[in-house]
Amino acid sequence: MNIDNTASQMRKGVLEFCILSIIKEGEAYPSDIIEKMKAANLNILEGTLYPLLTRLKNAELLSYRWEESTSGPPRKYFTLTEKGAGFYKELEATWFELANAVRALTNTEQENINNNNFNNPQ
Amino acid sequence: MKQVININFQGRVVPIEVTAFELLKNYTESLSRHFANEEGKEEIINDIESRIGELFQERITKGATCITEDDVNAIIKNMGRPEEFEAMDDTQTQSTASSSTSQEQSSAGNTQPTGNKRLFRDENDKVLGGVCSGLANYFNIDVVIVRIIFVVLLFSGIGFLTYIIMWIAVPSSATTQIGGARKKLFRNPDEKLIAGVCSGIGNYFGINAWIPRVLFLLPFLSFISRWGRWGGFLDFGDVVRFTFSPTSLIVYIILWIVIPEAITTSEKLEMKGEKVDMNSIKASVMEEMKGVGKKASTFGKEASSVVSEKASAVAGDVKNFSKRNRGGLGNVIAMIAKIFAYFIIGCVGFALVMALFGLAIASIGLFPLKDFLIGGDYQNLFAWGTLIFFIAVPIIGIITWIIRKIARSKSNSNILGWSFGALWVIGWVCIVLLGASISRDFNYNSKNLTEQDIALNNPTIDKLEITAKSPLYKYNRSRFLRFEPFQGIQEDTAYVNNVDVRIVKATNDSFRITVIKTATGRARNIAEENAARIQYSGVQKDSVLLMDKGIAINKTDKFRNQRVVLTIYVPVGKRIKIDKSISWFNDVHFGNNWDNGDWYYDSDSDAQDWKTGVEYKMGADGQLYTLKGVPAGKEGRTKVTINSNGIEVITDNNNNGDDNYRYNSGEPMNKIDSMKVKLENEKQKIKDSLEKAKEKIEKQLEKIGDNIEPTPLSSQLPAFSPLMEII
Repeated sequence: MNIDNTASQMRKGVLEFCILSIIKEGEAYPSDIIEKMKAANLNILEGTLYPLLTRLKNAELLSYRWEESTSGPPRKYFTLTEKGAGFYKELEATWFELANAVRALTNTEQENINNNNFNNPQ
Repeated sequence: MKQVININFQGRVVPIEVTAFELLKNYTESLSRHFANEEGKEEIINDIESRIGELFQERITKGATCITEDDVNAIIKNMGRPEEFEAMDDTQTQSTASSSTSQEQSSAGNTQPTGNKRLFRDENDKVLGGVCSGLANYFNIDVVIVRIIFVVLLFSGIGFLTYIIMWIAVPSSATTQIGGARKKLFRNPDEKLIAGVCSGIGNYFGINAWIPRVLFLLPFLSFISRWGRWGGFLDFGDVVRFTFSPTSLIVYIILWIVIPEAITTSEKLEMKGEKVDMNSIKASVMEEMKGVGKKASTFGKEASSVVSEKASAVAGDVKNFSKRNRGGLGNVIAMIAKIFAYFIIGCVGFALVMALFGLAIASIGLFPLKDFLIGGDYQNLFAWGTLIFFIAVPIIGIITWIIRKIARSKSNSNILGWSFGALWVIGWVCIVLLGASISRDFNYNSKNLTEQDIALNNPTIDKLEITAKSPLYKYNRSRFLRFEPFQGIQEDTAYVNNVDVRIVKATNDSFRITVIKTATGRARNIAEENAARIQYSGVQKDSVLLMDKGIAINKTDKFRNQRVVLTIYVPVGKRIKIDKSISWFNDVHFGNNWDNGDWYYDSDSDAQDWKTGVEYKMGADGQLYTLKGVPAGKEGRTKVTINSNGIEVITDNNNNGDDNYRYNSGEPMNKIDSMKVKLENEKQKIKDSLEKAKEKIEKQLEKIGDNIEPTPLSSQLPAFSPLMEII
């Protein structure tokens, strides 16, 4: 078992959820999303965000519109579709369920669940 | 000082340093490779590129004059390299990837195969250079099998060269994974002597260019020292002599063709393996540490998906075909005809290639004989032209084509193909002219067929044994190639054993030995001169006559079908033995002489069927008999004498099966006309003797009476079947 592996798998699992929750707050441009994640201390590479967005869009959870930009090429602004909203709801429910379960099991002062303490004694 | 170019990036003109541009290009290429299997690949890359474009614009509006390497590196660091995405992205592959057979593993949305399989050396599963594992991946077979094949080939020497060539020619799998951050083999145009192959190799292996140069020159030098002894290259000038070496020259030419020249900056950077950027090397090391099995599994996945795709395509074809098939039987026939046509074309192509390789080997074997066969500047020129253009060019071309095909090199090879074709046409011209020119040298036969006596000290001796002086040079025998009439080569003399021996009954009681010399030439008088120049003589020592082993030919005389007929006149009742060392019936000659009706010596008076190494006695009928009285040619077989005493069976053991192989098995198969004539005579003789034997037996049978059934005996008597024995 590789700690990095496990950690990144955990992070990956919640990434889509995080992206959806950012976009749910309002139309978002990819670099906005990155900024917000950074602010929340969730660092991901920008390069990994684009394929995720495309996949979500292809799954019809997101839609986008073009907006002309003063600094460079036109930008894509993403919004949640109806289907995406439903999807988000379900994910959210699962997430809180899971978070509560983990909290109960690990029994630690929860600072940040995303910051995983994996090697706790059972 | 750095060169700056303007590029159109995402619809904006961006001034960018050349090196930064190369970095950017490699990065986007590595992205497109990474996302090759991804649905919506274009969109993702476009998104990333437009983001990069935005960042560029930002920098320029901030006042930067151009985009520098540092800018690009910073952006790439932000965006992340594909291998870093994988760490984030595709982790579930990694966890199961330690076995290369995890083919069923396919992440969601990742099922689209590229369908474009290329041969790579597998850096992750290598013993030496990863050639075998790359091949195994390519053909989807177990690497162990490929390795075993290579090890077996290694013993024959081919495997080694093939491996080295493929090691160099086939790109490493690492080049696909990281955006060209690895070293690649290029020819170096900046530092070249001929084509920059050596300095490119030097760059690749991080050594001084002189080391490969010396390695290339070594075979030259040894070759010259080895072949120089024959002096075979003297008449073609020192330049050719210096640059001609069959192995290293061919290897060099192949490398020249196969290895691309480093033209662009990035190619030069790749060639030198300079830090295209530090990150990429760090990343590649990191990746190496992390995902050893990952790439293998990618390979496996790709391979399996390609195979399944191909399989379904084939299945579809079959279905389509069967659908169409309902339309008519014609399609089936057409298809079968097609298959046949391809098969035949394949066979013919294969045969052609094999013939070429055979020619190449033969010509290498013939090379020391060259100066004995051809003379004059034109013929030399044509010989070289044939060797280089007719034989070497297509071989190099085929090897190159195969390598390029396997490695899927980009084909700008139209020019290549045309130039190879043109060179080959030159080769054809050369070989036709050479053949025409040489055949003219064999056009005319000498007509002077006088018998010249070889003086004997003591012609009235009872027994004469004829043997050859020990062969001067034997090494030609031990070599794997041996050209028949050429017995051996010593300095500037070749020995041709076109010596024909005939034994004839002498009219008086002394031995007499004569030689008839013939040769061919460009004109009748030249042929006569050539014949007159033949030196062939012998020395008698008591009962032994030592003859020359072969006809000595030097480089000025050349080989012109020099031929000697040695006639031995043996008095009746005297004994003769021809030693095995005298070669005979070597009817290897060029052209159509000897059988063109000019002459043929009277074979009726000749003794028949004798063998070398057996002692014979001359009979009154001009035939030879063994000392036990068995006619020549029937030694080792059963002689049945039927007379009033009963039936006597004698098995002659004088000849213990050491028959002259060449004579016995060679002659009946020999298709040369002179042999046919002899064969006819032989047949007639056999018929005659059979008739005689039959008559004899019938007479004796009459004497004996009707006690013995005649049929089985008469059927047994013609004991010409060599294996037949009656005991």
